Amino acid sequence: MTNSDNILEASGIVKAYGRGETRTEVLRGLNLSVRAGEFLVVMGPSGCGKSTLLHILGLMGRPHAGTVTFGGKVVGDGDAERNAVRREQIGFVFQRFNLLSVLSAVDNVRISLKVRGRADVNGRVEQLMDLLGVTHVARRKPGRMSIGEQQRVAVVRALAHEPALLLADEPTGNLDSASSDALLDLLRKINRDSGQTIVMITHSVDAAGRADRILHMKDGQLREQS
Amino acid sequence: MASLPLANILHHKLRSLLSAIGIGIGVCMLVTLSGLADGSLFEIAERMESVNADLIVVPRGLADDTVTFSGVGLSERLGDYIREAFPDRIRRAVPVFTWSMSVGGEAHRVTAVQPGDWDVLTNNAPISEGRIFDPDGTFAAWLQRRLLSPEAAGVAPTADDLRAHGGLELVIDSRLAARAKLGVGDTVESNDHTWTIVGITPAGVITRVLMPLRTAQYLFGTGDITKCTMIFLNLANGADPASTRQAVAEDIGQDVIFVSSYRDMLASRWAPMFTYVNIVNTVALMIAFLFAMTTLYTMVLERTRDIAILKSCGAGRAFVIWQIVAEGLLLTASGMVIGLALSAMADWAVERYTLLTIDISPRWIGMATLAALAGAIASSLYPAWRATRVDMAEVLTYE
Repeated sequence: MTNSDNILEASGIVKAYGRGETRTEVLRGLNLSVRAGEFLVVMGPSGCGKSTLLHILGLMGRPHAGTVTFGGKVVGDGDAERNAVRREQIGFVFQRFNLLSVLSAVDNVRISLKVRGRADVNGRVEQLMDLLGVTHVARRKPGRMSIGEQQRVAVVRALAHEPALLLADEPTGNLDSASSDALLDLLRKINRDSGQTIVMITHSVDAAGRADRILHMKDGQLREQS
Repeated sequence: MASLPLANILHHKLRSLLSAIGIGIGVCMLVTLSGLADGSLFEIAERMESVNADLIVVPRGLADDTVTFSGVGLSERLGDYIREAFPDRIRRAVPVFTWSMSVGGEAHRVTAVQPGDWDVLTNNAPISEGRIFDPDGTFAAWLQRRLLSPEAAGVAPTADDLRAHGGLELVIDSRLAARAKLGVGDTVESNDHTWTIVGITPAGVITRVLMPLRTAQYLFGTGDITKCTMIFLNLANGADPASTRQAVAEDIGQDVIFVSSYRDMLASRWAPMFTYVNIVNTVALMIAFLFAMTTLYTMVLERTRDIAILKSCGAGRAFVIWQIVAEGLLLTASGMVIGLALSAMADWAVERYTLLTIDISPRWIGMATLAALAGAIASSLYPAWRATRVDMAEVLTYE
């Protein structure tokens, strides 16, 4: 059963690493629902499977069992369908920013639009760069930007195609506290102002404080914070 | 927006330059070696085709050796006979004697001809400096008198006699003159004689060195000044070359070939050299593209994170493959430009410092382009396929 308010649902997700005696199940029949417009945070100790879950939700990895439903439709196993959903509906922000080092900030954003077959409609890229305070580094390559600037450019890239869901994997993990606070405030603002759905993984209690809902991962399952 | 393949190439300038040079060397070898083989051989053919003649009479059984045959082979009186036997079909019959001699430190094929036949042999090529040898035929007449008159029998003319009567004169072409730094009035020592250069003709005539027929017959033949190596036949207007060739050959019992077949005879005679050149070219191209493939493969290994980023944005297999293939094509295009520039430099240097000719023809440039494109695509596909196998989750999380 799916709830029409939910943009994303994961059901019975199982994921294991290793084989035989070394096999370790990191996700054990995990269930998750994300409502449209929600800012959801997943917390948990290192190695508990948070990133693995995010990759499965973002269709970058496949579970051994379970289904992912996006916009009310179960996502199949074919590369083409998974690529299409990822291309159209999802934006990623990674802990290590993952910008292309040979391209300028603005070209990093534009190539992600090109991959997605999108154009820069109504100057959205410029607006986002302005909103995130990175207009001044638009022509710079990542090597000539600060860590905070790189992460904000990564956020612009993740949002440029107006995804239904923004997945953020420890986005403040490499930032100092000032940059971290600024970025989290921006994410919260984007969530509130435009109803952008965000699922963020973090260790930071401060970061979690901006969320609408916090889930804790333990023993391969998610538990709602009481 | 900047193209990612172009941005990658510009970002790794030294590596890209080395890769392009590697491809360029392969292209240069293909164009230059092939052009050298074609140019040097076909320049000889073009010079033979510059003779204002249609047929060549050669000794029976030696048709296939026309390109290398020299010395005594036929009686020059055969030319007079052919002209008289076929007055409606043969306008001129020009006996020539071919030999080789060293001029300017290099051996050259020499063509000897009667001064009166200069117009047929060179197709009226002008003398750009000086004059033709024995211009009024006085030397030829003197030597004929000396050798054929009964009172002179048994008294061979000496080198001084030949020199005094203008028999040791040469005309050389402009490329040899420039290369050997020789001009009108200079002398050269060759074949135990001292020769005087009396004229320079533009390059393109039958051989780079020309001399009086009687001199060559007397010095390089048997001493009999009625023998020649071959006879060029200039056909009368309207005469059919094929039927005339057959008729003359049957009548005189010697081989008669078309001047136009000389090119094919050269190519056939030197076929092993073309095979050798083709093998060398193939090896050069293979090395160039293995070099490119190694570069692209290394690039893919180094760039797994970039490829994973593109895939995380939803890039499909075709997009990823195109990024790698496009980079290979850009490198190859750069290599083509470098290779053609190197070829042009090689062409200039070879023609400046040697008497060889490189024929950089559109055909070989086209071949090199096709080979380079095919090589670029072939050498990019495996690295590109590897790129599509990148596990983005693993790379973006743990790298």
